[in-house]
Amino acid sequence: MPGGDSGVDVEQYDDVWVFVEQHDGEVAGVAWELLTKGRDLADQREEDLVALVMGEDLDETSIPEECIARGADRVLVADDPVFEPYRSDPYGEQFRYLVEERKPAIALIGGTHTGRDFAGRVAVPNHAGLTADCTELEMENGRYEMRRPAFGGDALATIICPDHRPQMSTVRPGVFPTAEPDDDREGEVIEVEVVVQEEGTMTEVLEREVGDVADITDAEVVVAGGIGVEGDFEPLWDLAEVLGGTVAGTRDAVEEGWIEPARQVGQTGKTVRPDLYIAAGISGAIQHLEGMDDSETVIAINTDPNAPIFDNADYGIVADLHEVIPELIAYFSEDRQEVPA
Amino acid sequence: MPDEWNIVVCVKQVPDADDVSIDPETGRLNRSDAAAVLNAPDYNAVEAALELREAVGGTVTALSMGPPTAEAVLRVAVGMGADDGVLLSDPAFGGSDTWPTSLALARAADELDADVVIAGEESTDSSTGQVPPGIAAHNGWAQLTYVEGLEPAPGEDRLIAKRDVEGGYERVAADLPVVVAMGFGENKPRPAGLHRKIYAETDFEPETWTAEDLGVEDEVGLSVSPTQVGGMDTADPVPREQEVVEETDELAEQIAEVL
Ligand SMILES: Cc1cc2nc3c(=O)[nH]c(=O)nc-3n(C[C@H](O)[C@H](O)[C@H](O)COP(=O)(O)OP(=O)(O)OC[C@H]3O[C@@H](n4cnc5c(N)ncnc54)[C@H](O)[C@@H]3O)c2cc1C
Ligand SMILES: Cc1cc2nc3c(=O)[nH]c(=O)nc-3n(C[C@H](O)[C@H](O)[C@H](O)COP(=O)(O)OP(=O)(O)OC[C@H]3O[C@@H](n4cnc5c(N)ncnc54)[C@H](O)[C@@H]3O)c2cc1C
Repeated sequence: MPGGDSGVDVEQYDDVWVFVEQHDGEVAGVAWELLTKGRDLADQREEDLVALVMGEDLDETSIPEECIARGADRVLVADDPVFEPYRSDPYGEQFRYLVEERKPAIALIGGTHTGRDFAGRVAVPNHAGLTADCTELEMENGRYEMRRPAFGGDALATIICPDHRPQMSTVRPGVFPTAEPDDDREGEVIEVEVVVQEEGTMTEVLEREVGDVADITDAEVVVAGGIGVEGDFEPLWDLAEVLGGTVAGTRDAVEEGWIEPARQVGQTGKTVRPDLYIAAGISGAIQHLEGMDDSETVIAINTDPNAPIFDNADYGIVADLHEVIPELIAYFSEDRQEVPA
Repeated sequence: MPDEWNIVVCVKQVPDADDVSIDPETGRLNRSDAAAVLNAPDYNAVEAALELREAVGGTVTALSMGPPTAEAVLRVAVGMGADDGVLLSDPAFGGSDTWPTSLALARAADELDADVVIAGEESTDSSTGQVPPGIAAHNGWAQLTYVEGLEPAPGEDRLIAKRDVEGGYERVAADLPVVVAMGFGENKPRPAGLHRKIYAETDFEPETWTAEDLGVEDEVGLSVSPTQVGGMDTADPVPREQEVVEETDELAEQIAEVL
């Protein structure tokens, strides 16, 4: 059994892998963000960056080529009907096989629901180290160090994985910038052997209802609402429109069904880094702050002068958002008209 | 084919989030004096387990791994209505990351002949969400994470779950045994009944199992854990102006400045 000296010959493992999550030919945006960090790590380690794509009829998509354009040296493609839609058991078994065959040193996986479902499963059979929700990934004196928030965001822990491989990390969407495509880049696409069969699976997807997944991570202005909004997000949408931004919410607002889950900011949602973040009716819980702390300027609107959001805002107003937001909309609508087009 | 289901619900003891403070003198994280409570998302797991028992019949056994004090969270689960509780406690478990933690829980679930294991979405202290898929992987069982609701299909020996996925939802049927991670806040946990609560706090005694009882003594603890905490810093609050204005117009001017 692997132990303190785990019996794993870490020297045998190299290359940085990125799991490119895709559903029906649509790539999850976080995968392109991971290629940015993966490229950086691979360069520092003088190794290759390898993208792993699993699904059905991938040759009818441009995903493998896009992985190369966005930084991959090689793309491993596992193409079979068993991989569409995503299920943890066939994905996990295929990944275990690929890791045993090819021995990557590092594997990066998006911290989406799908990515976390996958990562948690695949780390076990390979006895890999898996660090969740990393916000910094660095090589320090030849050692891979993963930093992640803990205790809801009160602390930042440095996690290492000295004796086991691969060293796996999940990263929530919005933490790293998107890798832009360069169509002149060259790389190799490799079809790998598929080792799972439908008969061996334990799960069946009966139904899947998925619309467009909103991406709030690139917005320059974010108008975010919480429980204080009391159900009607319409004024926030209007304000976002006049300010040229988008709308987001707290987890509690998402749970109320007032706003879609893809727009949740925080520890279990997205990280945003806009120029302007307006927090309306949001108390400022640590799990929420974690997703908005990189904003340039933070504005708070809250009726409770003691709400923690005020300590974490640049400018605040102790007032009812149902009054302030229409006033802001009016202010900026007039402003627009005054400026000659 | 099981007529009734053995349902195991995983409950973790965590420091009370409201109590974790930063020592103003040292700037270090102070969690030793924080009260220990049941991980908030695990209330949703217990509720889901009790609802499942109501739907198909069977028993609910609460399972926790932790120091002897962790039996308190088993009492919470029993107070809510769990039939029994098992504590995995042994100094050998110390320093376990999610790999050995999920191994110990997986072995115990197997020992309890579980048909369904229900866990929370993630813990509020280390919040990896890796333990439920880890339990499933160690036992080679199916897994259903980010679950919004469960539909048991006992006639087919399957459990169907509505899962929250990016941009929507999916319904997935899994063969038993299966590990479920309930989404945080997806159901309304019931309060403990008065009589049940008194029983949980007085007469109820959880069973305690050691690493050796589970046959995992060489496979748990710091030495087999692939990850190690190499250091911990308090997260510095981002410096902000913290200026409170009186009028919306002043706020608007500040916004205009940024745009
Ligand atoms: C494991 C875990 C993960 C989590 N992940 C996240 C996450 O990713 N993102 C997240 O946001 N949360 C997350 N949470 C939840 C978090 O702890 C808080 O519960 C949540 O952020 C609170 O949302 P809120 O600010 O909308 O609601 P509340 O805390 O209820 O705050 C509402 C605020 O609105 C103010 N208000 C009320 N009426 C008005 C009005 N008319 N005008 C102006 N202000 C008004 C009130 O004064 C109050 O401050 C997580 C929790 C856990 C346990
Ligand atoms: C600061 C810090 C950071 C850490 N980071 C990592 C890391 O990135 N990777 C890693 O592998 N380990 C990490 N660990 C170790 C990890 O905290 C432990 O393995 C922990 O016991 C289980 O992980 P979790 O709390 O994240 O569980 P989660 O997977 O978040 O918990 C999900 C659910 O599983 C169940 N569950 C979890 N633990 C128990 C238990 N002990 N008893 C009963 N049910 C349980 C509960 O139902 C819970 O709701 C870290 C520890 C610290 C102190």
